[in-house]
Amino acid sequence: MVSRDDVMAALASIPGPDGRASLPDSGALSGVTIRDGKVFVAIAIDPTRAKAMEPMRAEAEAAVRAIPGVAGAVVTLTAEAARAVAGASPGHAHAGHAHESKAPPPVRHGRPSEPLPGVKHIIAVASGKGGVGKSTVACNLAVGLAKLGLAVGVLDADLFGPSMPKLFGLHSKPGLAPDGKRLIPLESVGVKVMSIGFLIDEGAPVVWRGPMVVSALNQLLREVVWGELDVLVVDMPPGTGDTQLTMAQNVPLAGAVIVSTPQDLALIDARRGIAMFNQVKVPLLGVVENMSYFVCPHCGGRTDIFSHGGARKEAEKLGVPFLGEVPLDIAIRANSDEGRPVIASMPDSAQAEALLQIARRVADTLATGATGAKPAPRIRIL
Amino acid sequence: MAWPTDITAMEKGRVLEVAFDDGAVIRLTAERLRVESPSAEVQGHSPSQKKIVTGKENVAIVAIEPVGNYAIKIVFDDGHDTGLYSWDYLRKLAS
Repeated sequence: MVSRDDVMAALASIPGPDGRASLPDSGALSGVTIRDGKVFVAIAIDPTRAKAMEPMRAEAEAAVRAIPGVAGAVVTLTAEAARAVAGASPGHAHAGHAHESKAPPPVRHGRPSEPLPGVKHIIAVASGKGGVGKSTVACNLAVGLAKLGLAVGVLDADLFGPSMPKLFGLHSKPGLAPDGKRLIPLESVGVKVMSIGFLIDEGAPVVWRGPMVVSALNQLLREVVWGELDVLVVDMPPGTGDTQLTMAQNVPLAGAVIVSTPQDLALIDARRGIAMFNQVKVPLLGVVENMSYFVCPHCGGRTDIFSHGGARKEAEKLGVPFLGEVPLDIAIRANSDEGRPVIASMPDSAQAEALLQIARRVADTLATGATGAKPAPRIRIL
Repeated sequence: MAWPTDITAMEKGRVLEVAFDDGAVIRLTAERLRVESPSAEVQGHSPSQKKIVTGKENVAIVAIEPVGNYAIKIVFDDGHDTGLYSWDYLRKLAS
């Protein structure tokens, strides 16, 4: 039987990633597994040096394979521990910063919790309740962030009710990248958008159980050429289920924005959404009160159709920042239905200003680090 | 809530040491972590379904992967890899 010590002895003659300490002493071995005579070794490296590390990997693999009794050897390079180390270094103020590396991960595409290469911050827009205008807010938040000079993408994570094609007025099919595998996101008003709605006919239902949802989400997230993004806005479906859990587990979320109407019925679910993000340690960027009031276009009188101020009060009660109020407004509704986000189509309107204000607050918070955001722990295997 | 700053598998994967930002440092054996895995494989879907896992005195940790912002997935050398250990759960196991 091949033992762990045999593997270590075989690797002892090979210099580790720094070229000096041997692999076993370098601390870069992040995993050694032996099963039925097959040996799996993971070496943690700086992902930007993946190419330069390839000879070391090959050498290690050959050395392990040469051990008598070894039926097969697989040595992989992983960015895992290197990333955790980077997360602990000064200047990396919070968990969301763990994904700043620019180079693609060298191996094992799409592992759990692996950050998206090139994407600095991933934020979720969620509500708890459906129909509160979450997607409209997410769309305008993205356009607003782009207007502030950030590189922005939108991932439509509402697989059962994708709204982004309509809201951005995008109806073509996404192209394939030269690698023949990944999709190229569509683009509108300076925002890259990916939605399952681009891949299926409008009106065709997606009838799936949870595991299908999880795998489709991972594809929409990872098998897409996002390029360099400052922020990826994820439009969540209502509720606290598979999609939310998948997002919370598979990528380090920099924060969540909760959208609610001021009425109690919506606030109950908003509270659930906040509690869920607290449970999975996703910091809250704040609460948006949508459909906050209605100003009659005929008489100018104001009516608080869904009550008013409830979301602000809730945010204060829970110690979460309040991001702003968006009125119930025919221009927002009409422009949204026509695929022209109001921030872009009516930039000087009060409605656009209200939404842009929210985008500014979110951008500021991302720049300084959300309240309660903590750096990812350093993970090591000695 | 205390937040982990360092998670280290040591003694050939037999011990997991977790340092928290409140100064606490906890040490858990791989055996303890394995038999108390929060995985449904061990815990079932209710307390009455909980399985008693035995014979894991020599189990070792071979890999640790972060899960979102809130937990780690621990891979053991017996192939068990479905337990997600949240910061709170790790702390609870040590108390």
